[in-house]
Amino acid sequence: MRRNRPSAAAGWPLAALLLTAAVHAPAADSTRPLSGIADRTPRVHALVHARIVTEPGRVLDDATLVLRDGRIEAVGRTVSVPADAEVIDLAGRTVYPGFLDAASVYGLQPPAAAEGKPAAAPAGDHPMAAGAHHWNPGVHPESDAAAVFTPRPEAAARLRALGFTAARVAPAGGILRGKGAWVALGDAPAAGEALIADGVSQDIAFETLPMDSGRYPVSLMGSIALIRQTLSDARWYARRLQWESQHPGAARVPRSRALAALEPLLERSQVAVFATRDELDYARALALAQEFGLRPLLLGNGREYRDVRRLQQAGVGVILPLELPPPPAVEDPDAALEVGLEALQHWRLASANARVLAAAGVPFAFTTRGLSDVSGGFWPALRKLVAQGMDERDALAALTLTPARLLGVGNRLGTIAPGKRAHLVVADADLLRSEQAGIDEVWVEGRRYVLRAQRPLQHGRWQLQWTGASGPAEVEVGGKGPGLKAGAHTFTVRALAGDGWLWFVPGAALGRGRDVLAFTVARSGEGLQGRATLPDGAAVQFTARLLAPEHSAGPFVAAVSLPALPAPAGFPAGEHARAGLPRQPDLLLVRGATLWTQTARGTLPHADLLVRKGVIAAVGRDLPIPAGAQVVEAQGMHVTPGIIDAHSHIAIARGVNEASHAVTSEVRVGDVLDPTDIGILRQLAGGVTTALLLHGSANAIGGQSQIIKLRWGADAEGLKFAGAPDTIKLALGENPKQSNWGDAFTTRYPQTRMGVEQIVLDRLLAAREYAAQRRRGHARDGGPLRRDLQLEAIAEVLDGRRLAEVHGYRQDELLAFVRLAQRFGFRPTFQHVLEGYKIADVLAAGGMPASTFSDWWAYKYEVIDAIPQNAALMAHQGVLVSINSDDEEMGRRLNQEAAKSIRYGGLSPQEALALVTSNPARQLGIADRVGSLAPGLQADFVLWNGDPLALTSRAEQTWIDGRRYFDRAAVAAERARIEKQRAELIALALPERLKKLGQELPARVPDGPAGPVSADAPADGRYDSVALAAWRPPYADSRPAHSCHAGER
Amino acid sequence: MNRRLLVLAGLLLAPLAHAGAVLLDGADLYTVSHGVITRGQLLIVDGRIAALGTQVRAPADALRVDLRGQRVYPGLLAANSVLGLTEIEAVRATDDRAEAGAINPNARALAAVNADSELIPVARANGVLSVHVVPQPGRTGVLSGQSAVISLDGWTWEQMRVREPAGIHLFWPESEIPDWAPAALAERMRKQLQQRRDALERALHDVRAYAAARGAGSAPDLRWEALLPALDGRVPLFIHADGAVALREALAFIDRERVGRPVLVGGADAWRIADVLAARRIPVILGPANALPRHRGDAIDAAYRIAARLAQAGVRIAIANAATAMAAANERNLPYQAASYVAYGLDPALALRAITLTPAELLGVADRLGSLDAGKDATLFVADGDILDARTQVRQAWIRGRPVDLQTRQTRLYQRYRQKYAPVPDQG
Repeated sequence: MRRNRPSAAAGWPLAALLLTAAVHAPAADSTRPLSGIADRTPRVHALVHARIVTEPGRVLDDATLVLRDGRIEAVGRTVSVPADAEVIDLAGRTVYPGFLDAASVYGLQPPAAAEGKPAAAPAGDHPMAAGAHHWNPGVHPESDAAAVFTPRPEAAARLRALGFTAARVAPAGGILRGKGAWVALGDAPAAGEALIADGVSQDIAFETLPMDSGRYPVSLMGSIALIRQTLSDARWYARRLQWESQHPGAARVPRSRALAALEPLLERSQVAVFATRDELDYARALALAQEFGLRPLLLGNGREYRDVRRLQQAGVGVILPLELPPPPAVEDPDAALEVGLEALQHWRLASANARVLAAAGVPFAFTTRGLSDVSGGFWPALRKLVAQGMDERDALAALTLTPARLLGVGNRLGTIAPGKRAHLVVADADLLRSEQAGIDEVWVEGRRYVLRAQRPLQHGRWQLQWTGASGPAEVEVGGKGPGLKAGAHTFTVRALAGDGWLWFVPGAALGRGRDVLAFTVARSGEGLQGRATLPDGAAVQFTARLLAPEHSAGPFVAAVSLPALPAPAGFPAGEHARAGLPRQPDLLLVRGATLWTQTARGTLPHADLLVRKGVIAAVGRDLPIPAGAQVVEAQGMHVTPGIIDAHSHIAIARGVNEASHAVTSEVRVGDVLDPTDIGILRQLAGGVTTALLLHGSANAIGGQSQIIKLRWGADAEGLKFAGAPDTIKLALGENPKQSNWGDAFTTRYPQTRMGVEQIVLDRLLAAREYAAQRRRGHARDGGPLRRDLQLEAIAEVLDGRRLAEVHGYRQDELLAFVRLAQRFGFRPTFQHVLEGYKIADVLAAGGMPASTFSDWWAYKYEVIDAIPQNAALMAHQGVLVSINSDDEEMGRRLNQEAAKSIRYGGLSPQEALALVTSNPARQLGIADRVGSLAPGLQADFVLWNGDPLALTSRAEQTWIDGRRYFDRAAVAAERARIEKQRAELIALALPERLKKLGQELPARVPDGPAGPVSADAPADGRYDSVALAAWRPPYADSRPAHSCHAGER
Repeated sequence: MNRRLLVLAGLLLAPLAHAGAVLLDGADLYTVSHGVITRGQLLIVDGRIAALGTQVRAPADALRVDLRGQRVYPGLLAANSVLGLTEIEAVRATDDRAEAGAINPNARALAAVNADSELIPVARANGVLSVHVVPQPGRTGVLSGQSAVISLDGWTWEQMRVREPAGIHLFWPESEIPDWAPAALAERMRKQLQQRRDALERALHDVRAYAAARGAGSAPDLRWEALLPALDGRVPLFIHADGAVALREALAFIDRERVGRPVLVGGADAWRIADVLAARRIPVILGPANALPRHRGDAIDAAYRIAARLAQAGVRIAIANAATAMAAANERNLPYQAASYVAYGLDPALALRAITLTPAELLGVADRLGSLDAGKDATLFVADGDILDARTQVRQAWIRGRPVDLQTRQTRLYQRYRQKYAPVPDQG
């Protein structure tokens, strides 16, 4: 075989020509029958004189790289060129490992769909038509990118043009979405040839279906519950199949490809890639991963910097999108009120996201996914990160080494090392930082794809030596403006086909008047040579040599001055961020207040409250001031126990109701707490310290609910009231029977109160049987028992381990449930219970508490008999009564709601206050910890500036666990800082925004008849807050709120 | 009849029919217009307040009601309500709040007021004796109709009428699209907002054209006949707007169209332009204090402080509940909305005025309602304490001199079920 001589001048265009003519042949042994003459062209290349970045931070200058049959054979400075290699001289070029896109949908979508964009709508339907699939259309872990992947030559070329040589492709729709595969971005015609590795990952997303679909799940908590049950099922399924193989006569459980497909995930041979939508999803994904021992990887959303410590501690990697938020709409100061401080902060900090992760040692990979314009946006976005201080090595690692390692191909891709696949990018040395830099060629599986047939001139100052004339001594390539600057003169340049240029040199530059001379310029070694003929026939020549390159071709350079990393901003982001939990003084003495103990001691005037490490130590008059105690002077103030809201829906993310199925006891509010909900702070300002966050009332048996403390500044887990009982929501009457849902909802069982009673009875029976099986430890036929999370929660109600909170209004439905509960031996608490006064004797006899409204009524048919004396009347009959809010707004003034029971029904002030303190504490089984002021209880209390039952009083301070979580004066004092911060960020955003706006919008003049406008919606609410619920992100304004008193779902 | 017996009867809750003069004796009179007359006397003759003071001359046969230790207030005026137009929110058949379409200035709230609504006695029982009934916009609504001031006593709406039309209602098209709304929904909402804007522009154009061509002989256009008086100042134009952008646009509109008697309703962001409103003498009927701040980033007490801020700047304010079905069922809580503003700096006397005399002035009924003054309707009530306190009981009430039955569906149910458990403590 002929050995190519190193020929810099000829190498480039020749390669380009070869390539266009090349016929693709399989890389290795193929089963495909050969047609025609075998292609025996050797696929051995030696890239010589290259600057090789073998991996981020490791650079070999003037090195040789040998590729054989798609594999890297050798790399180094002293590697000898094999005899059979085609030699390619890459002097002046830099070779990088091929770039990897960690989360692509390349080849999985119809060619018309834009590459890089995830499916726009939730893909509810199963991607395959038939077979033994999971009952839920969003659960299709058996779908396999490798099985449906189709090479798309044009899309591959677009990605190659950016430097990508391989991508992990993964199904985009659904919840358990399917298996991901690495594919090469070459132009192999057959999918099999492009596949590098399959089954490397399982993509998981907390996706929901539209509320009006009626299909499961419509809420985030439903989505998580479905993942949990399915993973649990997959574990059981494997054991069950094994058991069946040992018990041939046993009944077969239905076969499921979905459950079988999850085995590698549970055995940790696959990575669980969790798609995240906001900064709260990280913790949710990590919790699931931990629960099932998965190997998690997060598909990020750009806000990872906000929760970097969690990611660091979990040792989890992240796939980062590159799209940055656009400048917020701040040009109109009035409209800018809609832009919160959090959004402004994020706009400002988003480009530092990757740097923050790098500094914390959190591994991350980049993806083109999410870029609105992949081809045009990728490099500007990446270079912007580098310009703003990201280390080039980190940027390169995120495109090479890290995705390969995180996603199971670290031994094949990601670096330039012997034994790895030949995936390369040949480019300028300053590729990652210069707008001018470009990519000459990429190599995919040892195959060369030339992007830039003609290598551009290296930017910098070139020295010129003239023969036959005298001209400028220097010319600058790549300077500002068109053409080349040579002193006072400009040379115009035009590229020639093949190689070389025409330089048009003004005669004046050569001292020859107004002529223009055309020089043909060709490469000559590292330099250039130009020739022209003067009008008189004489020859003029010049040679050019690069003096100073514009960009250093040396080792990676860091940006000259790094912008400082953003300081930890506290949590939650925005107006009232908190750097940490408020301090807990060892000793705290509140002095001289009117102390509402809500115990047998009554209300003590001029009394003191002593707290030791968050626990009440003493209550009494004239307590001595212990040494070192923090003293709060409260003369003239009233101190009450913290208010407990026994029915709240604040701080629940993306849907309060799993409103699809009639029984959803498997869903958990505790999975989806939203610690960024400003409702927490607002209710602290109303003296609330504890709340029961209930699932909605759309189903007869709803979801597991969560008791929290309103610890503003804590994360989701930190909100939970440790040791408080588990709870569950049930619902009776109009809501679960869908009375007010519209005409589309008339078929789900139940549609009547008859059906509600029967479906609850049916599930209680099922749970009882399930509990018996669990005690036996196996299924009825002796096989492994499937864990049923739905029945498990109901069984816990029967065991007395889970409190049942039963939404109901009318006495008939309440009575029916009383009898049902008595039959099964548990004692529910009734919620709303607005006709409770009609059967107060029954409730009292059954020892069943009631949590009600003070005076709401008439908003739907089943509440026309509600009366404001309900609470007092029930209390007088011996029912344990509380008053709750069920409302984000009313939650801020439960003390006032309690006061109404003095007027309506004649409760004493202490009895009235008990409705929102000690009584709800007793209902929730936490009265030994909160709800009154007595030694040994947790120090949750409120300082009021007057009688807490007066409408004109305010909570001034709210303490939880002996920490001051709310201080009205301090919050007011924050205002100036908030406004300043806002103003500063708006000043920064304004120029960016104006750039984007471009032109003034013309004033709109209406023309023609407006036409009939239909009134197709109820008068209240201009949009459907229910349909929006599952979209509401953290930090959203509170307008689309949920209230299950009127929300009907 | 024995005078002593009559006095005793006056202390009972039962309605008291008496054709002649009535002397309310010994209560503190919260006149609103001229302070508090302690241990005063107030004489009702022919349905009107004939005289009041520390000592008034009463006819010999006047029925004297001993109210020592009590307070007398003018009836509260709910300045923005749908009471009478709705009964049970979730039952569509009972809902007459909003007519279809965008431009309905001719729709008359009064004609749809259900005199026998069960919600009315509940409002009355806490001193809310007059109501401004406001037609509401549908999803696409802009000009919702003609409102009316009614008193909560009468066999029919005709008898309840105090003033009609009280004004025309323009609901300023306001964007409520959350920036995180899914694209398709956001687009739908944007379109709808534009439709509302277009409908308003077109209506303004058409009404002017109609006015110019008036008398040309064709049948009257009901819409423009209703709208014109509000544009030229014969009746107030109530402009409902909350956000800063909407308020700005509404002010520009008032200016451009030379609206004669504009009143803003809602005004969540009005405090931001308090000085402008004061300078231009544009009054505001504020929404309830018990509302969430408009934005996440607003001060946590922003909604509570609006009233004090506006009052301080010199803006005339009335305070109202939200005109929702939910609020109509609890119109009785009107004084508590005012009280919550007091907790955040509003002067208590001003708070009381904002639910009595100021709304009466804005609604053009101050000659009859809003304060205890001789010559005004005897529409007033007796309470055992501060009406701004939720623990206070309303004991008696008169509307146009007629004693009001304070029983409600709720008190009847309460009595009935107390008997089920009798004996129970005998309280309120």
